[in-house]
Amino acid sequence: MNYDMLVVGSGIGGMESALKLGDMGYKVLLVEKEASVGGKMILLSKVFPTLDCASCISTPKMAATIHHPNITVLTYSEVEGIRRDGDGRFQVKIRRKPTFVDPALCTGCRQCEMGCNVAVPDQFNADLVSRRAAYIAFPQAVPKKAVIERGGTSPCTFTCPAGIKSHGYVALIRSGKYEEAFNLVLESTPLVGSLGRACFAPCEEECTRGGLEGPLPIRRLKRFVADTHYRDHERAEVKVPAPNGKKVAIVGSGPAGLTAAWQLALQGHQVKILEAAPQPGGMLRLAIPAYRLPAEVVDQDIRNVTALGVEIATNTRVENLEELKQQGFDAVLVATGTPRAAKLNVPGEELQGVVSSLDFLRAVKLGTPTDLKGKDVVVIGGGNVAIDASRSARRLGARSVRQVSLESRADMPAHAWEVEEALTEGVTVLNSWGVKQFLGQGRVQGVELKRCTAVFDSAHRFSPQYDETTTERLDCDAVIVAVGMTPDTAAFAGQVQVNKNRTIQVDPATLQTSVPYIFAAGDVVSGASFINTAAGRGRKAAFMIDRWLQGKELNEAEFDPKLPMVDKAEVLQRQRSHSRRDPVVNPVTLSAEPRGFAEIEPPLTEEEALVSVSRCLDCGVCSECHQCVATCPADAVKMEMREQKVEAEVGAVIVSTGFKLFPADLKPQYGYGRFKNVITGMQMDRLLAPTRPYNTVLRPGDGKVPDRIAYILCTGSRDQTVNNPLCSKVCCMYSIKQNQLIMGALPLADVTVHYIDIRAFNKGYDEFYEQAKAMGANFVKGRVARIKEKEDGNLLLYYEDIANGGRINEAEYDLVVLAVGIQPNLEAGKLFPGGQLKLDNYYYVEEVDEDLNPGRTSIDGVYVAGSASGAKDIPDSILHAGAAAAQAAAYVEKVGRPS
Amino acid sequence: MSERRIGVYICHCGGNISDYVDVEKVRAAVGDEPGVVVAKTAMFTCSDATQQEMVQDIQEQNLDGLVVASCSPKLHTFTFRGAAKRADLNPYQYTQVNIREQCSWTHTDDKAGATGKAIRLVRAGIAHTRLSTPLEPIVVETVPKALVIGGGIAGLRAALGLSDIGLAAVLVEKEPEIGGWVAGFEGMYPHAKGGRQLIASLWGEIQKRPDVTVFTNAEVIGKSGSFGNYQATIRVNSRPAETIPVEVGSIIVATGFDSYQPEADEYGYGMDGVVTLPEFKKMIDSSTGPLVYKGKPVKDIAYIYCVGSRQKPDLPNANRYCSRYCCNAAVHASLTVAAKGAKVHQYHLYRDMRTYGKYELLYKESREEGSLFLKFADDAPPAVTRDENSGKLSVTVADQLTVGTELTIPADLVVLVTGMVPRSNEELVKTLKLPVGKDRFFNEIHPKLRPVETVVDGVYICGACQGPKNSAESVASALAAVTQSAGILKKGFAELEPLVATVKPDQCAWCGKCQETCPYGAVEKVRLNDQDVAAINEAVCKGCGGCVPVCPRDAIDLQGYTDAQVKAMIDGLLKEIG
Repeated sequence: MNYDMLVVGSGIGGMESALKLGDMGYKVLLVEKEASVGGKMILLSKVFPTLDCASCISTPKMAATIHHPNITVLTYSEVEGIRRDGDGRFQVKIRRKPTFVDPALCTGCRQCEMGCNVAVPDQFNADLVSRRAAYIAFPQAVPKKAVIERGGTSPCTFTCPAGIKSHGYVALIRSGKYEEAFNLVLESTPLVGSLGRACFAPCEEECTRGGLEGPLPIRRLKRFVADTHYRDHERAEVKVPAPNGKKVAIVGSGPAGLTAAWQLALQGHQVKILEAAPQPGGMLRLAIPAYRLPAEVVDQDIRNVTALGVEIATNTRVENLEELKQQGFDAVLVATGTPRAAKLNVPGEELQGVVSSLDFLRAVKLGTPTDLKGKDVVVIGGGNVAIDASRSARRLGARSVRQVSLESRADMPAHAWEVEEALTEGVTVLNSWGVKQFLGQGRVQGVELKRCTAVFDSAHRFSPQYDETTTERLDCDAVIVAVGMTPDTAAFAGQVQVNKNRTIQVDPATLQTSVPYIFAAGDVVSGASFINTAAGRGRKAAFMIDRWLQGKELNEAEFDPKLPMVDKAEVLQRQRSHSRRDPVVNPVTLSAEPRGFAEIEPPLTEEEALVSVSRCLDCGVCSECHQCVATCPADAVKMEMREQKVEAEVGAVIVSTGFKLFPADLKPQYGYGRFKNVITGMQMDRLLAPTRPYNTVLRPGDGKVPDRIAYILCTGSRDQTVNNPLCSKVCCMYSIKQNQLIMGALPLADVTVHYIDIRAFNKGYDEFYEQAKAMGANFVKGRVARIKEKEDGNLLLYYEDIANGGRINEAEYDLVVLAVGIQPNLEAGKLFPGGQLKLDNYYYVEEVDEDLNPGRTSIDGVYVAGSASGAKDIPDSILHAGAAAAQAAAYVEKVGRPS
Repeated sequence: MSERRIGVYICHCGGNISDYVDVEKVRAAVGDEPGVVVAKTAMFTCSDATQQEMVQDIQEQNLDGLVVASCSPKLHTFTFRGAAKRADLNPYQYTQVNIREQCSWTHTDDKAGATGKAIRLVRAGIAHTRLSTPLEPIVVETVPKALVIGGGIAGLRAALGLSDIGLAAVLVEKEPEIGGWVAGFEGMYPHAKGGRQLIASLWGEIQKRPDVTVFTNAEVIGKSGSFGNYQATIRVNSRPAETIPVEVGSIIVATGFDSYQPEADEYGYGMDGVVTLPEFKKMIDSSTGPLVYKGKPVKDIAYIYCVGSRQKPDLPNANRYCSRYCCNAAVHASLTVAAKGAKVHQYHLYRDMRTYGKYELLYKESREEGSLFLKFADDAPPAVTRDENSGKLSVTVADQLTVGTELTIPADLVVLVTGMVPRSNEELVKTLKLPVGKDRFFNEIHPKLRPVETVVDGVYICGACQGPKNSAESVASALAAVTQSAGILKKGFAELEPLVATVKPDQCAWCGKCQETCPYGAVEKVRLNDQDVAAINEAVCKGCGGCVPVCPRDAIDLQGYTDAQVKAMIDGLLKEIG
């Protein structure tokens, strides 16, 4: 891409330069970082001294800019760097930020905005109100195209192994859209209720609120939407897609198999699940105790799958995968999990009364539990399954349950909270012991333990070391061994490649086995993991199988592409005004003598759910709730859009990056940010603008229409205490303009201006000042020392009245407007490497020859236009932009236009 | 006439219109007008989205006429013509109806009345559109050369700027020497650059440019032709005087300013030791060591600000405006004095210190160098007298910064910080038909949208003739005028409005009345079929319509505003609202 000129920034200065150069016949590339051209002027109410409506003056320039045949506009794009060639031309690198909306399709209808569930302070309304994460910058935006603001993936969503858009359902619950929240989880997995109870919730560990008062109960919120949905829908209501003619067999109905079946069926594949056990659900059904996951919930989740037409054949063990192919299945997914219990291989393990945890738990769940009433039970193992076994044993009436763990308490693989709950329920945990042998004649009567001195070797491989001399004997009636689980893949060994540890070998990127039509996923591939992980793998397998069946390339990158995780520190910085909000407590009902298998965790009430979601910090900004995707009538939302890098060669550069406003909270004595009725001049301009947020002038604290309004000029200007000795040139005049507009809008309001000097210096300005005085604005020379807020939100000003004897006075106002000054936009200096573009002592772009070549910078061929070189009002910015354009044109004529 | 297909769009203008005019009611009332096939309202008709909607409607509904009822045609005629053009609708089949400036804003006290008026105005616009015909702009080739009037720093920089981008320039300077005010200055604020040196460097560069022709001692005494093709006449006041015709595409006026000349006795002006700012500047520029006045070292200086600026309205020909440069210039002068070594007490008597922007640093430095600043109230100006005993001047002022204390300041020099006044250029104003503002400086079309353009196409203003400016600011505006000129002249052609008078020769019996009334000299007598008839020079005609009513035989019509259209508009206005 070659252009004669690059213009950086499309405020009034940048547009003027671009338009004039375009008129001269030069090809101009205009780069704007926001989603609309127009800069700050378009946001103003009216402009001084003519009181023209700012919109009316800006919009024709904006439209002319975007439609000019010689101007190419890149909005929502940032110039990353500019390098000057030996021949005097410039190489430009531009980053086009993704808008996640295809501009060619977007009609600007704002449906996405209406459906969006994340509110963000509206920078185009000076943060007075909020906008949505999906938004159109402002009503007069050019181009009028929506943008979805995504700061990255929210930590909760990023970390979810099941690929659930956790932030999304949290945001939907916040908007009361429970059903949509349920459906969003369904986009990933049908196991909404199961995961809402039995997931170990890594999302909550990552929750940014966790670094403050505690994380959101993200898992229980999922349970809340599941419970709500299942309460209201006795049968699953899903739209069954038209069959596409392909058949897939899934071996195993655990989390991986069910999720894969769901995803494949959604794509129109005919899916049959073959399950060896008498009931479907895998570990959900057969291992996780009912006090954590009731069987009905598993049934409800499975009904989602069967409602799509997925057939589940139970009591069907598959040993020959090729046979399935012969039966007409186009693809096969092996998701048989880890149904085999690992053995300790110590003497006495064969004794009666020694059972594996899997057999034990399965019997409990299938309603044929071992009778443990009054028995002394020893559980071997330190993991979650061992805990489940211990707690189940207590529930079956065991007199004592002693759990023996190789690891120290701190190193136990079980989650700490589970150990705590087990202890509360009367389980005794013995740490750092291994099993030497089981004792007894025919029936187990005790366990001999030996001291474990180390669990892992130096390379952190499992390699327990024992002190065989330190032993302990536990007398008992029963032993439950929970020391790991392995796949049962012996039957597949000749058909697909099986590893030594019995897992099936797959290409980790595609989950395809050595036989192309056979895929494998879940614990049968990875070894024992968690239900969320298995569900995620099942989803990935379905994605791959679907592509394979369509003859598409199996490209891992296209599966669930996520933006990088947001930086939590940045989120906290952005949300630094967050108020303290304590988490809802989780009153799990625990008893020292637990009986029965009723669920121990209560559901969140609706109120608790809403309080909880209100604590979300919206880390990624966009929550990925996908409502915009669903509502966009033009199908323009493209969540997979990513940033693009563009390079261009240009002949000359005009820097028109504008200015920043002084952050008024740097003057703490005025209370901005603390006192609600102290606002900035920009906020008042928004209150007065035709597209104003409240459609009237009112004070933000309580919505009252103000009667007495004070202005404090030179806020942040001419002020050594904030290191800015410069005058900002526009604040006197914009205040005077606002005075006149306020007196028009609120005829009864009194306006008082506290000033040092009124700088009405440009054409027509002093006359404008006189006009404001004649209309009744009251001008008081002298500074305001401080402001005190009264209980009713009114403000007491302590000020000096120089013209009336220099008295220190106190006056009460309803609203105080800080006429904040102008500060340099430091982005300008970063456009060129290594400080090549010189800045002046106040960090504005330096004009090296202001007297004869206003706008010329330290780099030949680079010009500055408008307030990037120092505060300017609009007329001066326009003239300055015209000057920069003339010189840029002259430069290009001299060095030659890029070919 | 075949049935027209007209689209009507009524603007809320945020609330500027819809707060007072019931736009929905207007839409309903005009939706059934003959020929109207689309009638819509929009929050901002000028927004890109609504423009796109119009384009879509025009194309999908096959519209052949467009009416937008919004603001003044001055603001958006070109905006919506552009939209029409993008939709392949002839832009002259677009009519703008002003229901803001001429309706909502004027009738804020009568919403029903405003709504009724808006309905009538829109109906008139529709009637006008119904009789519209496609017109093509008049294309004139432009001369790639500009005339620059005034050889001060702005004019010189403009001439050089034109040459830099391949446009020739003819520079005309009234005085025998080029350089204007700036050539007479040594160090100027804020960069202490010598004015003389700046002019010398510009002049040196201009002399290398074969495409810049400079006439000194010369004036522009005539202008004819039209935008893109002006014929200007330059009189060089040599002996004998010489007139030179030049052909140029545009004219840049950079005639500068005069310094305010105080009335006798105004702040003691006329007394020995009371000087104006330019006089003082000359004194400090020409002194190499500490400042000496009439042989005596200057120890006390009093500056009185706002002399000739921000005057009270009751003065005859009061200069109400602020002169912008003088605070900065006076503060800078005091710094120059301080830098000359000797200890001088400097007192600044001001109303508001307007050292705007970065010039605040000069003010700060001046205070740090020991200058004292005293503020007087607008209605309590200082008085300058001479102490009969010491012979020294003294200035009395009530200083607001010290609780209104009346202070008497002894002064060796009283500097009247005089402002800028418009130069009297009556001949030039007449020749170029330049617009003059309330403050008597030349007037731009719009301070923001079109700050260097005047209502005369192709005639631009820059520098202090448009309003007070310092040297660097004048140069910036001069380059802006270059940019504006180049926007047209670089293209090589210009498109003029086809809204011009046309003569129906068969009805004309040449009486000459139209020629007499035309202020632009656009009417010529031509011979057609052995008859004398009137003919219009399209490039000169401004479409003012002045000739139309004077023609006794109704032989002249104005394109775009034909008699038939105007009559139809009247009918539209008078139709019962219903």
